[in-house]
Amino acid sequence: MSDHIDGPRQIADPSADVTDLFAFTSLEDARRTVLAMNVFPSAGASAMFSNAINHSIVLRRATVAGLGDGAKFKTGEQEYRFSCRFDTLEPGPDGQPIQRGSCSFPDGQVLRFVVNDQKGASTPDGVFRVFAGLRSDPFFLAWLVGPMTKVPNLLQHDNVLAIVIEFDTRRVLDPANGALFGAVAETTPLPQAGAGVRHPPPRFDWVGKPEQTNLRLDNPALTGVDDLRDLWNQQTPFAIAEELRPVFRKRLMESLAVYDMRDGKADWTPAALAASAEVFLDDFLLFDVSKPITDASHLEIEKSTLNGVAYHTGGGRTIDANVTDILLTWLVNQDKGEFMQGGAAGATQPGAKTFPYMAPPNTQLQKMVDRADLSASADQVWTLIGPFGGAAAWHPLIAKIEVTGTGVGQLRSIQTIDSKQIVERLEAIDDSQRLYRYAMISGVPAKDYVGTLHVTSKGAGSSVEWRVQYWADGQPDIVVRTIVGTLLKTGLDALKKRFGEAR
Amino acid sequence: MSKAPGPPLDLPPATAGDIAVINLASARQESWSRFWRAPQRPGTAETLLEQEQLTAQFVGDLAAFDRLQILVNELDSANPDAAQTSLVAAQVACATHRFVEARGRLAQAVSRGASSDATTRLSMSIDQATGENLPAMLTARRERARQSGRLEDLVPLGALLADLQEFEEARRTYDRALREYRDVSPFGPAWVCFELGVLWGERIPAPQLDFAARCYRMAIDYLPCYVRARVHLAEILLRDRQTEHARALLTPVITSGDPEVLWRMADVQQASGNAAEAEQLMRRARSKFEALLARHVLAFADHACEFYCGRGGDPARALELARLNLANRPTLRAFEQTRAAAVAAGEDCFAAALIAEASKHASGTSIVSS
Repeated sequence: MSDHIDGPRQIADPSADVTDLFAFTSLEDARRTVLAMNVFPSAGASAMFSNAINHSIVLRRATVAGLGDGAKFKTGEQEYRFSCRFDTLEPGPDGQPIQRGSCSFPDGQVLRFVVNDQKGASTPDGVFRVFAGLRSDPFFLAWLVGPMTKVPNLLQHDNVLAIVIEFDTRRVLDPANGALFGAVAETTPLPQAGAGVRHPPPRFDWVGKPEQTNLRLDNPALTGVDDLRDLWNQQTPFAIAEELRPVFRKRLMESLAVYDMRDGKADWTPAALAASAEVFLDDFLLFDVSKPITDASHLEIEKSTLNGVAYHTGGGRTIDANVTDILLTWLVNQDKGEFMQGGAAGATQPGAKTFPYMAPPNTQLQKMVDRADLSASADQVWTLIGPFGGAAAWHPLIAKIEVTGTGVGQLRSIQTIDSKQIVERLEAIDDSQRLYRYAMISGVPAKDYVGTLHVTSKGAGSSVEWRVQYWADGQPDIVVRTIVGTLLKTGLDALKKRFGEAR
Repeated sequence: MSKAPGPPLDLPPATAGDIAVINLASARQESWSRFWRAPQRPGTAETLLEQEQLTAQFVGDLAAFDRLQILVNELDSANPDAAQTSLVAAQVACATHRFVEARGRLAQAVSRGASSDATTRLSMSIDQATGENLPAMLTARRERARQSGRLEDLVPLGALLADLQEFEEARRTYDRALREYRDVSPFGPAWVCFELGVLWGERIPAPQLDFAARCYRMAIDYLPCYVRARVHLAEILLRDRQTEHARALLTPVITSGDPEVLWRMADVQQASGNAAEAEQLMRRARSKFEALLARHVLAFADHACEFYCGRGGDPARALELARLNLANRPTLRAFEQTRAAAVAAGEDCFAAALIAEASKHASGTSIVSS
């Protein structure tokens, strides 16, 4: 069909897109640390990990190398790498595909697991535990940052693919040799034997602190500037190219200066802004495993160091941390003014107290719409289809209807020609608008199922629109879609046959 | 053009096709959910549009075009004056070959301040599809590909070069698209391999069917559900009397809804001596083509014309559709198809007149006449 070659622009694999990185103390056992990375923004209910990507969380031990306007964090060379890769799909016991994966750890152990197994998998020595699968997206953004307008959570009801790794802090990280760490998450190509002349990219995406690219480097309020995000994403974590540091530094300073003035007041001195830019230029998520990591401790390490004092929390990032508002408050008023609370206080679902600490996936609103344009007048059509209990007279799939009650609230019990029973309640009816709305009580496996039948005049004839919306429960809803789709199509086709289609 | 290269191309690794298709389907459902919750949220309609286009192009789900029309209707209802609405409507119209409407909605989008990158890109697509301003188009496409180096710009350039019979440069462009591919989605490389198959099997004066078949197979390796690649490969296999291989190729996608699958499977049955099954499949193919034409006549006129010129056996219908397609998009291929349909329908005078008109059209586009 698209033989005139205007194929889609965005054919990047969304499962390579890293959305968030978390580092916090286990809620089940304070002796354990949790690292988590999320990929695939707005993942659907049946999303799977790519089998062609290596997903890694990389830690390096860090030290405070400067305070105040000379604030600086240095990282060591030794890496603690946690890498997960995923298999191709295999048939599951219920006919749905399953996916397995494996995670390799800094001590060389490799752990196999099944995607979406809520219990996760643990190494025999109990040191490591892993979960990978679909979760409710714990990130929330409740600002239009350009105009600084509060809005409801822009990621409400979204899901992501999450990788959660919990481990024995002492045995893996040896915090006696330094408890402060910098973390990044990255997606990289799997190594290919005999790669030929190709030069695959070193990585697809990486993340350190939240919102480096979308809020700091690509400040929506900074206009007329080049987009540096692609160039940033090509950088090597922990080793931003020296020749490009001035470019990114300049952009960060411009961006931070704009944020500073969003409230009309200059809270940052030029030296402090420069120091802050330098800290953000070394982009890794800082956390200290010897100190408490809480919902409020995100960025405390950076802030205290920039303020010239010793930090006192573990920093990091918990599942429920309000990272955007913490960041914006810091950037706009340096925490000297009111906390900048956006239009939402939390994500769709809060984090869980038990492993894997992210809530189960959200349900999805589904809608189906079908239309028929008919030769008959709207009044003629409404006379036939308007009576809530009269559908058996025109819908071929309905054998019989029994009505209980009258007016709004009346129930119709539908028996289909294949002996299924569906019960619906009339929620609203407007004869002048030729519209009624009903809710499904039982008979179709869906939640909050609401249908609307509406007839309007169209030219010399009329148009019938039939809509159904419901919340899918996270399972593939092909059954519901098939039932509903057939109901709508068969009914409207029958009307076309009876009244004739509009020309 | 030089001989087909011997060794297989150095192909980029990608996510397994079944994973990519599951992810596309679930992301598309999620996008619809987001759209219903907030139709006017920036980016949602655009993402949905591209996901539906991927679904139509690579998964063969032609109901995607109906869903796209629902998207446009909803946007028109929710936010009729927005630049986003006009641009999405223009893109949907273009995808279904309603080019006059597409230009109108595009002009509306421009006047409403839509992004110039998006409007320029769409304008180029429309011009290329309708065969307009091809020399200027070539310059623009070359520059775009030079600047971005992205597959999404290289493939349209390759297709344009093929249309302009610059076959060697087209091949090099496609090769470059594969060589410099930086992502892991299989849709991109599958698309390039498919276009290479079309180039080698249908565009060049002396088709190299073996290599075309190899390219289609590579496309199917990336995306087993790639209906169009399976259909094109099946045509080659049938020409080569590899009937059972063609059957094995088409069977997994027989329920896709694409009438060309039914048509080629009818060819398989005919070649296997099963005339009754072949006739039944042809009836189903005919019915599906007509159902598609009833909803999207301009989008499917050329494919349906090919059907009716062939086993569909209705030269008058073929010519009717060819004329419709030619009026809509007067490309050299459309002229060729219409001429062939005219000859099949016994309209030799019209066919002769078309040659003259095509030559006039070709000289205006600096195309080397064959």
